[in-house]
Formats: sequence, C-alpha cells, structure tokens
Amino acid sequence: MSMGEESNKGGMSRLDFLKMSAVAGVGLIVGGAGMKVIERATGSDRNKAVDGNIEGEQVEMYGEHQAGIVTPQQTYMYLASFKIVAADLAAVIRLMKDWTKFSDLSTSGGSMRTGDNPMLPPSDTGETYDLPASGLTVTFGFGPSLFGVGGGDRYGLAGKLPIYLKDIPRMPREKLDATMSGGDVIVQVCADDQQVAFHAIRNFIRLSTGAATLNWLNEGFISGRPGTTPRNLFGFKDGTANVLHQTSAGFDQVVWAGEDEPEWMRGGTYMAFRKIRMLLEVWDRSSMAEQQDTFGRYKESGAAYGKQGEFDEVDASKLPDTAHVRLAKESKQLIHRRGYSYTDGVDPRTGNVNAGLLFISYQRNPEEQFIPMLKLMQSNDKLNEYTLHIASGMFACPGGIRQGEYIGQKLFES
Amino acid sequence: MHARTDNRFSKLGYIGIFALLAATLAACGNNKDAESAAPASAQHAETPANDNSAIQEGTNKLQEVTKQLQEAIGSQNADEVKKLGKSVNDAWLAYENSVRQAFPLEYVEVEKYVMPIFSASAYDKVDFEALTVTAAKLQGALDALKNAKPTTANTSELLLQAVDNYKKYVQEQADQMVVQAKLFTDAVKAGNIDEAKRLYPQARVNFERIEPIAESFGDLDPRIDAREADVEDIGAWTGIHRIEKALWAENSLAGMDKYADQLVADIQELQQKVSSFELEPKGMVAGAMELLNEAATSKITGEEEVFSHLDLVDFAANVEGSKTVYLSIIPALNEKNPDLGSQLDTQFQKMEQVLLAYQKNGEYVTYDKLTTEQIREISDELSVLSTLMSQTASIL
Repeated sequence: MSMGEESNKGGMSRLDFLKMSAVAGVGLIVGGAGMKVIERATGSDRNKAVDGNIEGEQVEMYGEHQAGIVTPQQTYMYLASFKIVAADLAAVIRLMKDWTKFSDLSTSGGSMRTGDNPMLPPSDTGETYDLPASGLTVTFGFGPSLFGVGGGDRYGLAGKLPIYLKDIPRMPREKLDATMSGGDVIVQVCADDQQVAFHAIRNFIRLSTGAATLNWLNEGFISGRPGTTPRNLFGFKDGTANVLHQTSAGFDQVVWAGEDEPEWMRGGTYMAFRKIRMLLEVWDRSSMAEQQDTFGRYKESGAAYGKQGEFDEVDASKLPDTAHVRLAKESKQLIHRRGYSYTDGVDPRTGNVNAGLLFISYQRNPEEQFIPMLKLMQSNDKLNEYTLHIASGMFACPGGIRQGEYIGQKLFES
Repeated sequence: MHARTDNRFSKLGYIGIFALLAATLAACGNNKDAESAAPASAQHAETPANDNSAIQEGTNKLQEVTKQLQEAIGSQNADEVKKLGKSVNDAWLAYENSVRQAFPLEYVEVEKYVMPIFSASAYDKVDFEALTVTAAKLQGALDALKNAKPTTANTSELLLQAVDNYKKYVQEQADQMVVQAKLFTDAVKAGNIDEAKRLYPQARVNFERIEPIAESFGDLDPRIDAREADVEDIGAWTGIHRIEKALWAENSLAGMDKYADQLVADIQELQQKVSSFELEPKGMVAGAMELLNEAATSKITGEEEVFSHLDLVDFAANVEGSKTVYLSIIPALNEKNPDLGSQLDTQFQKMEQVLLAYQKNGEYVTYDKLTTEQIREISDELSVLSTLMSQTASIL
C-alpha cells in the first residue's frame, strides 16, 4: 500500500498536510541538536487496527504507571542504554520532553512532521509510514550514575536517589562486560512489529544527539500464543511464576514502588537487567533428563516435578537440590519477569551461536526480591553449567505521566 | 485501546507557528519598508544603543589585549605570548555572540585571526613571525568592526555574498595546495623520506578543506586522493596516498617520481578549474555537509590515512572547511535561523576544543595512538555538529 493511499483514509492526505506546512516549515523549531520538529505528520489513521488485526492496536502510554512493565509482552524489544552528556539539568529536561513527545507520537502510530524544504533531512526516518502502532510501548528508567553514584552529581539529583537504586553487586561466576552494562538512562521499546520497535529506538537515539550518547543496544524477541507462557531458547517456559501476582493487588505487592520512596517513584518500579549468554550447543547435546533436572520442570508441559499442569503449585521438595525452579521458590520472593531472547552472531573461535536471554525483571524492592535470589542462583543453580552472565544493570523507572507531563518530570522539577 | 484526540493539539500548535511566522514575516516586511525609506545612517542610529556600545567596549578591550600581545611578540617573550593568546580568545568569546548577530561579515574576519592566535598559545614553540602578521590582521579586522554598519541586504543577497566569500577561500586553498604539493613532491623526488613525511600533512590539509569542490571535477579527486581500498585496478592507483604508502609502509621512494609529477600536474589542473567554476548557495551548503560526512565516515574510522595514521589532520581540515561555509552563511543564518547560528557557534567551539586536546605543537596525535573512548569522544562531538549542520539548508 502506498503512502498516499493510506493517508487518504484519514481524511487529510500526507501531501495535503505537507502543502499546509509549506510556510511553517521555514520556521523550524531548532532545539538542542537542531532536529526538533516532533509534531504529528499524519492524521490518526494509523491508530486503527488494520482489518481488525490485533497488531494494529495501541497501548496507552499515559497513566499511573509506565507502559511496558505489566503490559502483556510484545514480540520484539530493543533495550538501549544512554550516557547523559547534557550540559545542565535544563538540557536534560529538554531531552526528556522531546523523548516524551516522540513516545506519544510513536505509540499512537504517528510520524514526525516534515517541513517543505527538500534540502533538509526529513524529520522522521520514515520506515513506519504505513505501519500501525503495533502495541508499541516505551519504558524509561534511570541508573545510579544519573544520581551521581560513583561519580559527580552532575545534575543535582543525588538527594532524590531512590532507596534501592544501586548497581547489582558482584556475583560469583559472572563475566561482565562493563561496556554493555549500566548507564544513566535505559529505554525499553517493545512492539509486535520489529520494524515499528526499531523505528522508535532509532529516533530516540537521533533525538538524543547532543544531550546523550548511546552506550549499548540489545535486540530481543519472544514468542508465545496469547495466554501461554513464552519459551526461552532452552525450550522451557519462562516466567510461569508471573501468574502468581497478575492482579492489581499482586502488582502493588510485587512491582510498584513503596510509599517510602521519593515522590517521583510513586507508581514506579525497579528494572533489573542481566544479559545471560546461553550455551545452546552444549545444552542441545545434553539429555532430556538432564535438561529437565536443570529446571525442575517437565519441558513440554512446563509442570514442576511431581505435578501435572504448568501452574500447579510447586512442591520444592520434589525438585533436584540445585534445580533452577527450586532455588527460585526457596528464595520465597516474587518478581515480575519480562525477559527476551537474543541472538548475536557467531563466536568466531568456536563456531557457536552467541545467544541467550535478556533477563528483565521488575520489582518494588530489588534488595529483598531480586539480589538474594540472584546470589542463590549464581552460587548453586544447575543452570550455571549452561549459562554465563555477561552484562548487568539496575534502573529506577519513574511512575507514569499524564498527558502534557514529561517522563521523570517529578524527578527533575521538584 | 484508545482513539486519541490530541491531534487537535498539534494542529493548534501548528497554526500557532503559522501565525507567529506570519507575524514575523509581516514585521520583516515593515522593516524592509523602513530600510528602503530611511538613509543608512538613520538605520545605524536605530540599532539599540546598548548593543552597540557593548560591541564597542568589547572591541576596545580586545584591541588592548591584542596590543599587549603584539608587544610581547615584539620582545619575543614566548611565555607572555602564550598567556596573551589565551586572553585574546577569552576577550573575544566574552562578546562574540553580539557581534555575530549585529555584524556578521566583520565577525567572520575577526574569528579568522583569533583562532590561530589561540591555537598557537598551546604550542611549545612560538612562531613569532607568523603571529606578527596574524596579530596585525586582527587589529585591522577590529578597526573594521568598530566602524561597521548594519547590513541592509536581503537573504538572497546575503547568500550570494556568502558564496563569493567562500569562493575566495576555495581559491586560496587551491593556490596554497599547489605550493605545498611542490614542496612535498620536491622532497619525494629528492628521495628525502624524512623531509617528505614532515611535509605530508601540509600537503593534505588544503585539499581536505575543499574536497567536495574537487569532487565536482570528474576524476580529478580520485586521481589526487584515491585510497588503496578504493581503486579497482591497483596498477592504476595514483595520487598522494600512493606516496603515503611508499613513505610509511614501503620506506622507499623508488618509482615515486612519476606519481609526484602527476600529483603536481593534477593539483595545478584543480587550481585552474577552481578559478572558473560556478557555485550556488545550495552547492556550498551541501558541500559543508559532505565535508562532515567525510570526516564521519572515513576519517574517524582511520581509513583515510591507513599508512601514516594522520587521520586527525584530515578530520580537522574537513571541519575547518565546513566551518568556513558556516562563517560565510552567518548573515543569512542571522536572518532566517539565528538559533541555529548560535548553536553552531557553540558546537564548532566544542569540536575545536576536543581536537585541540589531541594536538601537540600543532601536530595531531596519530590515529593508532587513540583509544576507542577518545575516538568516540571526537565522534560524538562531530555527530552533534553534523546534526546541526544538516539544518543549515533551512536558510535556502
């Protein structure tokens, strides 16, 4: 379908719109990096589901909480870490405003308006002109370094450091790559269409020019039929335990930050990130019994040892001592898991595929819910024979915003 | 899932801009009427007095510091020259913004001479002779600034003027290129490897400052500047990078005479063509962008100078060439996009500052000595600069 055809459905064609902007284009709004025309280019035609297809749907970005945390998992994710280089707090705020504006635009299926001057680069990169919103969500989080932890307090935010925001402490058996870990700001973009997700992260990067630079970028995928738990690259269901807290009260208990946190964290949460290399080739050569012992669940049904169904309550005593699920249960903590698989080319030395899990979990108190669990697993988990943690990060995700506010506003302005 | 209504807001914002712009245009129109009706002197009087007096004051101060600098140069006091070189720069930075807005043409002249004085302050060895000339020219430019009148030209006139100024620069660079090429190839033909290596960077900069112009003359650019990786038939590879390989990789200048002779002939041909070529504002602005793209693709990656690793020399020359275009279009930027003008000003300063850190006595650190983090730092500043520069076409 051509751009023109689709645009016409919305009442005003893209061309009409460009004509209208003929004069306004001269008055380019030039901000931090000279590319700040984050205005809607098209009508709302892209907001509609295409032929009733669920992929066309929008996920509301405004509300008490940020989207992309308890939102049912979309198929694709990009996770980008930025170092903030803005000269001052005002420049940080400008970036957040631009990012918020573009989030609003892209999560509702819009593109940036382009002026009439063909000598200028187009404002929007354009690869989603004829694609729907595809359930796009954008989730922002702030790393300890933004608050001056481990360095200077560049933006005067040290006083607003949330209670549990610190880098994940050293763990046994990890081999972390510092250049792929941490960061001042994390942006998680998820969508059911990979091109829509990439378009969003690409333009977040573009808009950050001069105010932030990209540390690292990960690309993830996960697939499962609606209502089923998706499987990781070891073929096991991943995140079965999420069902234990999938209610509003459960989320309050497990995910959303407590009253004791700074004001800006109300409705927020902590994102824990581990990039976990999975040794697929070794795993694929191990027996079914070995694989199931490693998790303590049956591979196909997902049921814990001694049980019939995936969601039957786990009886830890029935599982091998070092089984992954047994250790998770013994930690007696719940976390909200929202990980994605990744592949990353070939290890030239072995010919093995670089692949694994972009582990992401959201929790209200990582020190209680996550760190002890991680420590227990890094020490005892049978899964360690097949995995290696290679990157790490902890981020505080602020609460949601209302229309007209910008992301993190309460952090930067109060 | 929500059908949202905030489209209305962007449309409103839209009309807002439209109205604002219309008002601006109307205001411009009024101004022009006033301009054509009033004599130039009356125009001058209309300029807010405080603005102008700040410029007069700043210029007086800068002239005073420059005078001290000239005295220090006269008495060959190197420490004092270095100290005052920095003071000259500080005195200029203190008020250059208002000059750029009010007297863009004079601004460019001053900027041209402040920069080398400031750079020299970082060198161990002071070139008193060169500084004597530069300081005198700076005084002249400052005299001109004190007597400057606001321009009354419209944007298209300003742009044509910009092209004229820029073409002069291109010609200067081409002329200088011939001189440097002769010096360099003389050393090559004399088989003097050390001397040729010493002269090589100087033989590069003039070309790299105006490379997009050379690219418009058919195969002249590849004849002069092709890299080994670019050529289809290695046997047909000519130009300065062929000699670069002989100097740094082969350590022998045997068989280089023919390349040396051809290099001079090609550069003379370039000089010839430059003297009669046509340039439009569009091409000039696009060329400035091409220069930064060159820096961003082949220089920052170390691919341009694979044997000598002098990529930063080319990088800096690309940036300088691009800055010259920026300086030429300041009057038009003031007219159409003053915000962009001041952002570019800041970013060129940042870029130059970062580059300065990799200079020792006017010589750039070789690329192979840079860490990934250092390269990234340079690249990040260039990205910001390029993004801003890509918006300069808004004046066309």
